[in-house]
Amino acid sequence: MPVQAGPGKVENRRIFFLSAVFEAPARKTAASGKSSVRAKVRHCRWVHLAQLRLRDFRNYRQADLAFVPGAHVFLGHNAQGKTNLLEAIYLLATLRSFRGVGGAQMIRHEAKGYFVGGTVMGPSTHEIKAYWAPRERRLQLDGRAIRKLADYFGVLRAVVFCTEDLLLIKGAARGRRRFLDLLLAQTQPGYLTLLLRYTQALKSRNALLKSPRVDEAQLDGFSQELVTVGDALMAARQMIVPRISPLVRLAFRRIAHETDELKLEYAPSVKGDFAVALGNARARERAVRTTLIGPHRDELTLLVNEQSATLYTSEGQKRTLALALKLAQAEYLSGIHGSPPILLIDDVMGELDARRRAGFLPLLQHSRRAGGQVFMTCTEENWPAELGAELHRWRVDAGTVSPAPK
Amino acid sequence: MTQLPAPIALLTAALSRLPGIGPRSAERLALHVVQLDPTQVRTLAEALIQARERIVRCERCGALTESQPCPICGDDRRDATLLCVVERALDILSLEKSGTFKGRYHVLGGKLSPLNGVGPDDLRIAALEARLQPEGVQEVILALGSDVEGDATSHYLAKRLAPAGVRMTRLAQGLPAGSGLEFADELTLSRALEGRRAL
Repeated sequence: MPVQAGPGKVENRRIFFLSAVFEAPARKTAASGKSSVRAKVRHCRWVHLAQLRLRDFRNYRQADLAFVPGAHVFLGHNAQGKTNLLEAIYLLATLRSFRGVGGAQMIRHEAKGYFVGGTVMGPSTHEIKAYWAPRERRLQLDGRAIRKLADYFGVLRAVVFCTEDLLLIKGAARGRRRFLDLLLAQTQPGYLTLLLRYTQALKSRNALLKSPRVDEAQLDGFSQELVTVGDALMAARQMIVPRISPLVRLAFRRIAHETDELKLEYAPSVKGDFAVALGNARARERAVRTTLIGPHRDELTLLVNEQSATLYTSEGQKRTLALALKLAQAEYLSGIHGSPPILLIDDVMGELDARRRAGFLPLLQHSRRAGGQVFMTCTEENWPAELGAELHRWRVDAGTVSPAPK
Repeated sequence: MTQLPAPIALLTAALSRLPGIGPRSAERLALHVVQLDPTQVRTLAEALIQARERIVRCERCGALTESQPCPICGDDRRDATLLCVVERALDILSLEKSGTFKGRYHVLGGKLSPLNGVGPDDLRIAALEARLQPEGVQEVILALGSDVEGDATSHYLAKRLAPAGVRMTRLAQGLPAGSGLEFADELTLSRALEGRRAL
């Protein structure tokens, strides 16, 4: 049956540029082969995905895969299920699809529900089991049901590079807020709890504003809650933006080889004191019947040479910028947790010109050298030999995955 | 597939309307009940009816009681100047178990929840206001939950009861007694820090 293909796939993509990343390290001896790989697994301090199990997930009836640390590439024609593998790994890390779809769309055609399981190895080993059906959800970590999501996140961290990333630059502020929120949720304990609290206070407040006769005293009760939690959210965002801004700038420069001056600025929708501003906005809120200011209206401004990147950059620059944001995310996570996140790269590089690809690859290489795991998809049949034996190749064909011959 | 006999299906449906009982538990309970000794079932049914008929809400505080007023409201030895506001009647039991509170209670019957259409008029707030003066209440202790709606209800009550001139307090939030820091979540810890006390 046909697999849903990610948007914007380009066939017969040239992939020679990957050689820069995955050339065999000089110290490698001819005889090492499998045993060296096994030795590496045992001594690996870095968090990596050692096993992936799929049942009725997308076009996979059943797949049981074992991965060593390092770089993996999924090769195959279009619509065979390459991106589905990245999606499953991302799902284990974040419990959502990076394609922006709900659980129902990830169930194999005519199946009742999907199962994705994984073994995460690192300083300690974790067993993840996620089952999703329209009327049943189960999430287990090491054999125990997860009740609070905040307890789950952090077992596996992943950063995905996909064509949708472009929306970070071109799209609405919501996408950029989500980028910040995800980064904060992955690095700052308690942020997710605060965010959920804020969302609930906001929804309650909006429900009150929409009622036919607004009860001011009641509204005030929820406003206080909104301000308390909102102040904490804004403080966290204020703290993180100056920390990632230099990382994004550095990544951008390396990819683009340009002298463009890139800057990230946090633009909170609240100017001054939140409680006072909320009081001042009350008249306008009466007219529009919704909460007009607060962290839910914040913006993360991207400036290239002091001009808005959303408005004044070329398509190519926008792509570079999106990549730079994601690379900065990976870099920041590595810095905080001391272990690089898993990089999932879905058909991104084909959209960059040769010069930008050449700039991007050393950054990937850097991640891999730091002990990380990289998974990428590729449609090319003829894999260039210069990529080296360090790259683990898998052939994906109509919902089956097998190690590709060297 | 043959269906369950109608009486069993009816019982299952009635049971599944109870809190914490899903369709499967309901079916298991129903199948158990229909195989019980008839006298046992009669005892159960009578106990259900008796319990429902004899338990009423205390007109004053809203607690579940057999007598009017409830034993706590009727007890002269309890401190009438202290009034503890709780969400549900069940919360009184928890506080009573601690054995340290000697005042009286007032059950709100829920918390403000705009998303579920629960407003101040749906809660026993007017009844609370009406008690303050006649009973000579000097301090109202808010013992509501610390989720968004619980906190918002506390803010709301603090403001609404302010004109009455009574002292308003709320329960402290912090570490659970007898446990280490490692078991507290971040929000609890930060609130515990905010509410720290001099030794």
